[in-house]
Amino acid sequence: MKRFSTLLLAVLFVATGAGISMADTIKIGLMAPLTGSWASEGEEMKNIVNLLADEINANGGLLGQQIEVIAEDDGGDPRTASLAAQRLATQEVIAVIGTYGSSVTEASQAIYDDFSILQVANGSTAIRLTEKGLKYFFRTSPRDDEQGRVAAQTIKGLGFGKVAILHDNTSYAKGLAEETKGLLEKTSNSIVFFDALTPGERDYTAILTKMKAANPDVVFFTGYYPELGLILRQKMEMAWNVPFIGGDATNNPDLVKIAGAKAAEGYYFLSPPVPQDLAFAKSKDFLKAYKAKYGSYPGSIWAVLSGDGFLTITEGVKAAKTTDPEKLAEFLHAGTQKVSGLTGKIAFNTKGDRVGEVYRVYRIDAEGKFILQDK
Amino acid sequence: MEEFFQQLTNGLAVGGIYALIALGYTMVYGVLKLINFAHGDLFTLGAYLGLTLLTSLGLSGHLGTVLGLIVLAIMVTGFVGIAGALLERAAYRPLRDSHRLSAVVSALGASIFLQNTIMLIYGAKNYVYPLDILPRTTLHIFGLPVPLVRILILTASLLLMAGLYLFIQKTRLGTAIRAAAIDQGAAKLMGINVNQVIMIVFLVGPGLGGVAGLMVGLYYGQVNFTMGWVYGLKAFTAAILGGIGNIPGAMVGGLLLGVIEALGAAYISIAWKDAIAFCVLIVILIVRPTGILGERVADKI
Amino acid sequence: MMNEKYKLFLYSAFALILATAPLYLNSYWVDVLNSVGLYAILALSLNIILGDAGLYNMGHAAFFAVGAYTAAYLNTQFGLPILWALPVSGIVAGIAGLLVARPVVHLRGDYLLIVTVGVGEILRIALINDVFGLTGGPNGIFGIDRPVLFGFKIRKPQEFFYLIWGFVAVTIFLFYRLKNSRFGRALDYLREDMTAAEGSGIDTGRYQLYAFMVGAAWAGMAGTLYASKMSIISPESFSFWESVLIFIIVILGGSGNIAGVLLGTFLIIGLPEAFRGFANARMWFFGLAMMLMMIFRTEGILPHRPRVFKSLDRQRP
Repeated sequence: MKRFSTLLLAVLFVATGAGISMADTIKIGLMAPLTGSWASEGEEMKNIVNLLADEINANGGLLGQQIEVIAEDDGGDPRTASLAAQRLATQEVIAVIGTYGSSVTEASQAIYDDFSILQVANGSTAIRLTEKGLKYFFRTSPRDDEQGRVAAQTIKGLGFGKVAILHDNTSYAKGLAEETKGLLEKTSNSIVFFDALTPGERDYTAILTKMKAANPDVVFFTGYYPELGLILRQKMEMAWNVPFIGGDATNNPDLVKIAGAKAAEGYYFLSPPVPQDLAFAKSKDFLKAYKAKYGSYPGSIWAVLSGDGFLTITEGVKAAKTTDPEKLAEFLHAGTQKVSGLTGKIAFNTKGDRVGEVYRVYRIDAEGKFILQDK
Repeated sequence: MEEFFQQLTNGLAVGGIYALIALGYTMVYGVLKLINFAHGDLFTLGAYLGLTLLTSLGLSGHLGTVLGLIVLAIMVTGFVGIAGALLERAAYRPLRDSHRLSAVVSALGASIFLQNTIMLIYGAKNYVYPLDILPRTTLHIFGLPVPLVRILILTASLLLMAGLYLFIQKTRLGTAIRAAAIDQGAAKLMGINVNQVIMIVFLVGPGLGGVAGLMVGLYYGQVNFTMGWVYGLKAFTAAILGGIGNIPGAMVGGLLLGVIEALGAAYISIAWKDAIAFCVLIVILIVRPTGILGERVADKI
Repeated sequence: MMNEKYKLFLYSAFALILATAPLYLNSYWVDVLNSVGLYAILALSLNIILGDAGLYNMGHAAFFAVGAYTAAYLNTQFGLPILWALPVSGIVAGIAGLLVARPVVHLRGDYLLIVTVGVGEILRIALINDVFGLTGGPNGIFGIDRPVLFGFKIRKPQEFFYLIWGFVAVTIFLFYRLKNSRFGRALDYLREDMTAAEGSGIDTGRYQLYAFMVGAAWAGMAGTLYASKMSIISPESFSFWESVLIFIIVILGGSGNIAGVLLGTFLIIGLPEAFRGFANARMWFFGLAMMLMMIFRTEGILPHRPRVFKSLDRQRP
């Protein structure tokens, strides 16, 4: 017992010691899944935000002060997220970036609102998050209804009739699947298949076999890239040539690695533009710097959107010349700010949603490259 | 009807992997009565080690595909087996004489530890095996398209199971393992070195788990650090379904679980697939309280 | 060991330090304590099933979920005040526990364990698939009211602290009484020697069922508190991992010992928070700490009884 309590005390000292920091800094919180199933997203979010903060600090800081990024792990689950939010709130951050996953974000919303801390979510697309009238909540990611609209339009535009829809029973994927289903059913399209896979498995042949029997013209998949990579590969092995269209959670270079270029060829997906396709000097410089520091390009568009969250906050502070959250929120809601972010111009409406057309249609070519399609 | 047979082969392919992982579970359980929750993470370790060895040594390039893969499988078995034996020495042996559930908690701790070790070493991103290692041809058997790799994997699983069964039933060492499983005290009195027997069990069981990891990597291509948790739980379910501690039971349980999942997904609901599998498990256990091939023991809880 | 007076002093000092915690801790640490309190209720309720009755239950989050969803549904659909839902969700979860346990309670240890894992998973899948349109699917149920006690609305972590730990105190008191009752003694007997207990005229099956029901009902009430605190509940809060966590707390703390289970809760829920300084290595340290604690305290940190009984277990095939 004694041995143990000594250990515990030692650990507590280390943990609290790490929390002590310098004064005279502007603290910005980052809430990200650093452990658990979405740890890869969290890792990139942290890398991106740190990179951008280092850049600003090297150029004299923000309003003459250095920026300190405090990253807290939300573990990708709501309970840990609410604790992470409490912890950030008590460390005097002016604003928080994050997080990934709508239900995880939702568990933290009320806490930041209670403490009047600005929150800019990056990977939270559920419609209801911005329908609550929260003053301090913003997001750089688009909403499910926007993507659903573009998805239905694309499926019709490509001339497909019978549609199979596959989601993975996450809040996001199911929301998008239902949104799209509703829109497609209003027109001449028929939904011949609608079901959910279990994420994290390796073998999806049972689902493919069942879907094939429904004989769709196209499959719309709203889940994430690791599962899709396996599905595309297993589909090719089954020698089934149905085209697939996917949502923005499949936008990841690893998709082609998992599926193989041959199986991935011809796959369409909707997504905010990948940074490589942006004409802005900002995104090109950013990508170069990122690759120089971490050895590869960022994989996830959601992680890139956390960079946009960071720029929203810092550029907002610069333009409004204050770190007061209330004034900052007013400034951002007014929509007059036009920050050039990593994924294009960032501006918000009165609800805190990002305005402007974000979605593009991409197709994977024979070499596994993501090719932007004309609408 | 064609769809039914197609789903049957789908289920058998998945079940073969479950069975292979379940073997390690059931071996360890048979001797120590320990639910080794870290087994799934040793499986993950096998998948990662296989990838590292494959890409760094370029075995298939030097030795040709078949020989290269066999050497690779032996190396992975060896390394993961050693990891398993070390784990037993460090985390389970001190608990051997205490309450059974204490060792289960230690195993859960080991599972978290191993999973996060892998994450800290390799990072949290997905890793992908080279695509062109295994032949990607598809055979047509009675008009059903069956990828050749599936047949290879199922054959390899069956061979390993048969080998293990013969090892346990026909060799001196296997007899010692069976003796230790029945009564450690009596086995000791018969001059069997029980500690050594347990070490061997922990070399073989996790080693098989490691090979299963390698096979999953080679076949499906994608590995990540959390994959062991799901596979571990499925394999544990399979082992219980067949009657835990029983080697043919693990095989039957694994294949059956795979087939139930595939048919459940095909004819009832994909989203409810795992729930259906668990319902079948519960019903089977209500009818046969020690699993399909488990011995009926008049025993108190 | 410790004499009674010393023990009493230690417990009251601990209670005093804890009761005044909101005065000197910031709201983050108070919220960590709230989390500890909720898991303490869950672990104490599992302790009745696992520690006292010796039934291997690794699906306890299922009853936690039943309680949380019952309360959330009644509150959001019918406007029932959340604290009024407390007894209702307790009863519903208790009935669920009875229904689950009835056909499987006779199964041998590990077979029961996988069955309870299965029940937990079946329920989680049902919640995700929005069974009968009651659960809201993966979104869960949101907009749950904050509790109101004597006209006072509980919002802040500091206020929840007293609600949750008040409930913990009641739980400890009742469970302590229960342990020293006829029921508690019967459970002790049947856990240690089922055959002998049956021979002495104890209806073992019925007592095991009661234990399961009480434990499940209490977990259901913890669910109500959780729902009111989070104001949104979704299936991922009731995953298999939650069941595992509660299971670990009971065994690591010392199954059957109320003080041990409480200490276990502080360690298992508190440590990952204390390890936050290690960033993404925090769960690595947590896993390591778990193994070390088990190796050095093989019977749990505060074991239930002397080691006399330890050899019994080894002889089971």
